[in-house]
Amino acid sequence: MRAMMSRGAAAALALGIGAAVAAGGAMAHDDKMPANASPATKAAYARHENFEKLGGAFKTLNDELRKGSPNVAVIRTNASYIANQARVLPTWFPRGSGVQARPMSEARAEIWTDAAGFTAAASNLQAQAAKLNQLATAGDIDGVKAQTRETFQACRGCHQKYRQEKKS
Amino acid sequence: MSERGAERQAGVRVKLWDGPVRFVHWALVVLIAFSWWSSEDHLNWHRWSGYAIIGLVLFRIWWGFAGGDAARFSSFVKGPRAIAAYARTLPRRDLAVTPGHNPLGALSVIAILIVLVVQVTLGLFAVDIDAFEAGPLSYLVSFETGRRISEWHELNFRILQGLVVLHVLTIAFYAVWKRTNLLGPMITGRRELPSDPGLAGAPWWRFVVGVVLAAGAAWLLSKGLRL
Repeated sequence: MRAMMSRGAAAALALGIGAAVAAGGAMAHDDKMPANASPATKAAYARHENFEKLGGAFKTLNDELRKGSPNVAVIRTNASYIANQARVLPTWFPRGSGVQARPMSEARAEIWTDAAGFTAAASNLQAQAAKLNQLATAGDIDGVKAQTRETFQACRGCHQKYRQEKKS
Repeated sequence: MSERGAERQAGVRVKLWDGPVRFVHWALVVLIAFSWWSSEDHLNWHRWSGYAIIGLVLFRIWWGFAGGDAARFSSFVKGPRAIAAYARTLPRRDLAVTPGHNPLGALSVIAILIVLVVQVTLGLFAVDIDAFEAGPLSYLVSFETGRRISEWHELNFRILQGLVVLHVLTIAFYAVWKRTNLLGPMITGRRELPSDPGLAGAPWWRFVVGVVLAAGAAWLLSKGLRL
């Protein structure tokens, strides 16, 4: 009976850890693109890669700004990358490249049903990112710092309306 | 109900939970709720709440080794035999009289502490979807890793929620089935027991050392370990 209890507890613990790991794995978005993917599916996967890189650049920029003495070159490189990517960002969303092209996609259907709203949100990002890039080129660290918040709001505004969180 | 039960046993009113234990407990209740609320739109406050939780958890771990008898891990963490023996007494409808955490409750205490340590550790490295809001140690990981850590942070919170629900249901079970009021002692610090277990307190300087260590560590972490 005693042995059973502790074995039961161990089993429960193992089950809990197993479930957590499985859930963590399921949540990770590292599903592979099928070999014979359609152009829309390819676009969905490429878009994900592009956003990972864009997020990486913005994170590198923010990390640099939070250092004691930020490196201007790092800030310039990443601000320019962000501004350039923002310019082409609308082309990452060809019609039909949502969840129908990749079930794991976080793109909401509203991107295409509310195309005007999505275009406005993308234009806002382009404007904010261009300003970010200008300030970085000018070497205005405080200006860049303040502008990261505006850029963040542009990302966030669009994410809240046009991105859905995938839970599985 | 418990008052009458205790009277039947001609109990004594003893000091069980010291001030630090009660403070940590209720501060965690408030801050865990606050952290949940602030996790969507108020990540600046969410970070501050997390730093406070780091301090509280570190202090509680210190207090588990340096605090008074009832707070010490060595006084309530028991082996599988004691846990099984205690579990067998659960269906009995008599007053619970363990002076402090019972062997089964000890598992809950340890589980909650571990899940909280995991939670704040993940939070230190988490990065939000916009790559702007982030934990103070997130500069050590990539955007992709930070995002994954954020997902684990959310998942681990579900585990914490489960433990909190289990905790509250257990308190209700003791109140209804065993007619034992466990909530009152966590507020007043005092509890009716059949006899005085003679729990010793801790000297004040150990409390001061714990506060300084925990606050110092939380402050260092909030600065991303950069001075």
